[in-house]
Amino acid sequence: MSHHHDDEFRIYSKEFEDLHKKWDRRQFLTQTTLGLGALALGGLFGKNIPGASPAAMGSLEQDILAALPHFAPKAKRVVYLFMSGGPSQFETFDYKPKLIELAGQNLPDSVRKGQRLTGMSANQSSLPIAPSFYKFNQHGKSQTWVSELLPHTASVVDDLCVVKSIYTEAINHDPAITFFQTGSQLPGRPSIGSWISYGLGTDNENLPSFIVLISKNAQKDQPLYSRLWGNGFLPSQHQGVQFRTGKDPVLFLNNPEGYDGTDRKEMLEYLSKLNTLQNDGYGDPEVVARIAQYEMAYRMQTSVPEVMDIKDEPDEVFELYGKDSRDPGTYAANCLLARKLLEKDVKFIQLYHQGWDQHGSLPSGIAQQCKTTDQATAAFIKDLKRRGLLEDTLVIWGGEFGRTVYTQGKYIADNYGRDHHPRCFTMWMAGAGVKAGFNYGETDDFSYNIVRNPVHVHDFQATLLHLMGIDHERLTFKFQGRKFRLTDVEGHLVKDILA
Amino acid sequence: MNLLDISTYLGHLHPLVVHLPIGFLLLAVIFQIISYWPKWAFLKGAVSITLLLGFISAVFACIFGYLLAGSGDYDYYLVNRHRNSGIFIAVLSGLLYASTLSPISNRFKIPAKVFSILLIALTGIMAYSGHQGAGLTHGTDYLNLQILTKKERVPPPSVDEAFIYEDVVQPILENKCGSCHQGGKRKGGLSIQQLQGLLKGGKTGPAVVPGNLSESELFRRITLSPTDEKFMPSDGKPALTSGETAIIRWWIEKAMAAEGKKIKELNETQKIKGLIAYSLKLGESPEDEEGGSDSIVVNPDIPSTVDQMAIESLRKKGVVIRVMLQKPAMLDLTLPSGKGIALNTVSDEIGKIAKNTVWLNLSGNNLTEKELGVLSSFSNLEKLRLERNPVSDGIFDIVVGLKHLESINLSETKISKSGLEKLGASTSIKRVYCWGTGAGEVVGDSSGVWVR
Repeated sequence: MSHHHDDEFRIYSKEFEDLHKKWDRRQFLTQTTLGLGALALGGLFGKNIPGASPAAMGSLEQDILAALPHFAPKAKRVVYLFMSGGPSQFETFDYKPKLIELAGQNLPDSVRKGQRLTGMSANQSSLPIAPSFYKFNQHGKSQTWVSELLPHTASVVDDLCVVKSIYTEAINHDPAITFFQTGSQLPGRPSIGSWISYGLGTDNENLPSFIVLISKNAQKDQPLYSRLWGNGFLPSQHQGVQFRTGKDPVLFLNNPEGYDGTDRKEMLEYLSKLNTLQNDGYGDPEVVARIAQYEMAYRMQTSVPEVMDIKDEPDEVFELYGKDSRDPGTYAANCLLARKLLEKDVKFIQLYHQGWDQHGSLPSGIAQQCKTTDQATAAFIKDLKRRGLLEDTLVIWGGEFGRTVYTQGKYIADNYGRDHHPRCFTMWMAGAGVKAGFNYGETDDFSYNIVRNPVHVHDFQATLLHLMGIDHERLTFKFQGRKFRLTDVEGHLVKDILA
Repeated sequence: MNLLDISTYLGHLHPLVVHLPIGFLLLAVIFQIISYWPKWAFLKGAVSITLLLGFISAVFACIFGYLLAGSGDYDYYLVNRHRNSGIFIAVLSGLLYASTLSPISNRFKIPAKVFSILLIALTGIMAYSGHQGAGLTHGTDYLNLQILTKKERVPPPSVDEAFIYEDVVQPILENKCGSCHQGGKRKGGLSIQQLQGLLKGGKTGPAVVPGNLSESELFRRITLSPTDEKFMPSDGKPALTSGETAIIRWWIEKAMAAEGKKIKELNETQKIKGLIAYSLKLGESPEDEEGGSDSIVVNPDIPSTVDQMAIESLRKKGVVIRVMLQKPAMLDLTLPSGKGIALNTVSDEIGKIAKNTVWLNLSGNNLTEKELGVLSSFSNLEKLRLERNPVSDGIFDIVVGLKHLESINLSETKISKSGLEKLGASTSIKRVYCWGTGAGEVVGDSSGVWVR
């Protein structure tokens, strides 16, 4: 039986159908200033406008996308090395020598200034100051202070822009990481990578523009939820695609057993036809997203194995990244994979390394974390630099918040812990558009408060978007009656760190 | 097509429809007056119907005018006056028509002379309203006696002979602020058309206070962060260049907000003269223009338009083209490696968009400098990627001619140390990536990056 599309009992008007599907009551009433009379005219005039498509009906989104990029971008791709758990600034980049003489003393109220504490240390009878167990040295032409835990990172400081004055509003992991990734502490907003994919599209149609990698060799003390790389209210094809370790890097990509590529292609073509019919009938944008995702999945059947293949990398590369890099799924291997994805012009790579949440036994814990990541991080910078990729790639390193100057629990010089601290912590950026060998911002002697050049999470996000050519105030998406953006209603470009 | 456009569309009919009541009502007045002569007395009876036509068309003109006012940024005061007088005309013509109808005229008799006078008054109001309306479309000084005596400004022959305000400052403001702050449009109450307008300013105070930069709202607005809500020009319209901003700054700081002053009357530094020369198109862009500037400097030689057909055709052939900026049209072009797209099969079309191409990636395409002669047409190129191609030192002879080229990636190619020596001929090239080549070993940096 053939499929009949016209129905003699229904007056068929394409314009009216599309209106019916894509416009809600509110839009209809607000946009038809002349009501139904104008609707009739709309039908008359609409047909002859070149390029007018039903989709242009909800043209707010199209107007916003058509204006992009807002300025010439400095960066073409972003790699965000997310150190999940909240790395301590005291044992990495924020050198506080004055704490040595104050070791074990109570944190003065004049410094704390009523800062709320987490339930983990709020009931402590005292807040003893804990200086870093590890030594610091100045490195590079920029004379940047780096702790002895990060010797490899120290060797590339002249390529980094170290920001010591980042601050956030959240004090616990989930709200804090959600805030960093989506601009809101509450779940449900799109991730940075989704915004960029939505705004700028893709440079390689065979790979997703937003890819997520998670280290397997980390202590998974704090969970990572897939909503952190979710698309929120943006169309679904902009969600981050996680590449896993093991047989199937991307789930459900391989053909079922006994099923060859031609069959698969044929099946997908039929499926696409069915989905297109469905879309004609209901106009649900999620159907369009589903078609796009199936097509992408098919192309990824070839592109993913190709990019995951590290056979052709010379030994010298594995030596540079460290021996872990031969073991897929480790931080080092993910850094190497990130480099390969960058070479394929993937726009946004979000790499997570968990385990930085040292409430106790911090000296040994953080030493282990640094040991696992330091060499590969530095190798990543060096590798991008010599290949010329640092020229148009932005690399970001940082966690969701910092840690307290006082110890959680008893203070022992070589065994203390640190609680969550939102008021100041250190991040660094490197590459396209940011100053190299540059230190920005300053904290007080306790690294408890910022004394110069504070950078809010929204400022960081605004700057990231700026480097990609996006004005953070102009990339918006209307949802449930409100225009949303990554930086909510705040965010200022941090001009001082731009090259 | 958006339904919203219907109201805009109808609004655009206002300038057409508005002439109907003018004609009808004027005709009513003429009929009324000449009907005093016995020969034309029969026209008296036509006044009523003419007034009715005038009234109906005036109502339509009012509705369309209302829609038009909502769709554009017109001068608030002009629109107000035009709208109120227009509505008044419609109401008055309606009342006058009503007074001619028998149920009303029997009870409420208007003497014929009063009726005539009211009609003439209606003509007067129509003239007033029409003038306000014309001010909205043509600018308030369109109908101005000065136009009889105004002379076309002759471009100054040299920087010294240029008038500071008239030749230098005013054209910059007209170009960058004119679309919202001159003629019938006075957003925020500011008009930049006359020097007095600048000194008077708008809602937030004077735009320019001679000699006082911090009090000059205009300077504050143009130097805010482009992402600031108050930044001018707003809505992503082209901002002042750093050179233009510097000129405005200098002009305000030196308190020269007066007409009739020539540059040569002042002892000015060579630097500002260079900027002025550039703005008057009497000289090249000064080299140190970038220094201390916040705004993003875009190379003025990049064409503002681009051959869309060439882009589409190249994309079909598999060439990846990323739009970096719409205006000017800046492109990032990649010839994907390993796709087997030969450069010479697409070089004709690439040539058509060469001047728009700011970043170019030809890495891993098995190219030698013999096939890369086409590069010389990429005169606005800033970043060039040629890594993993069998190119040798001959490439430097081609690239040193590209005066905007900043960075070139030649890692894993066949270049040598002697090639780098040719870079002396270029002042723009700042970074050369030579990792994995004979040249890389001598650079000294382990990443093989040659930095000027």
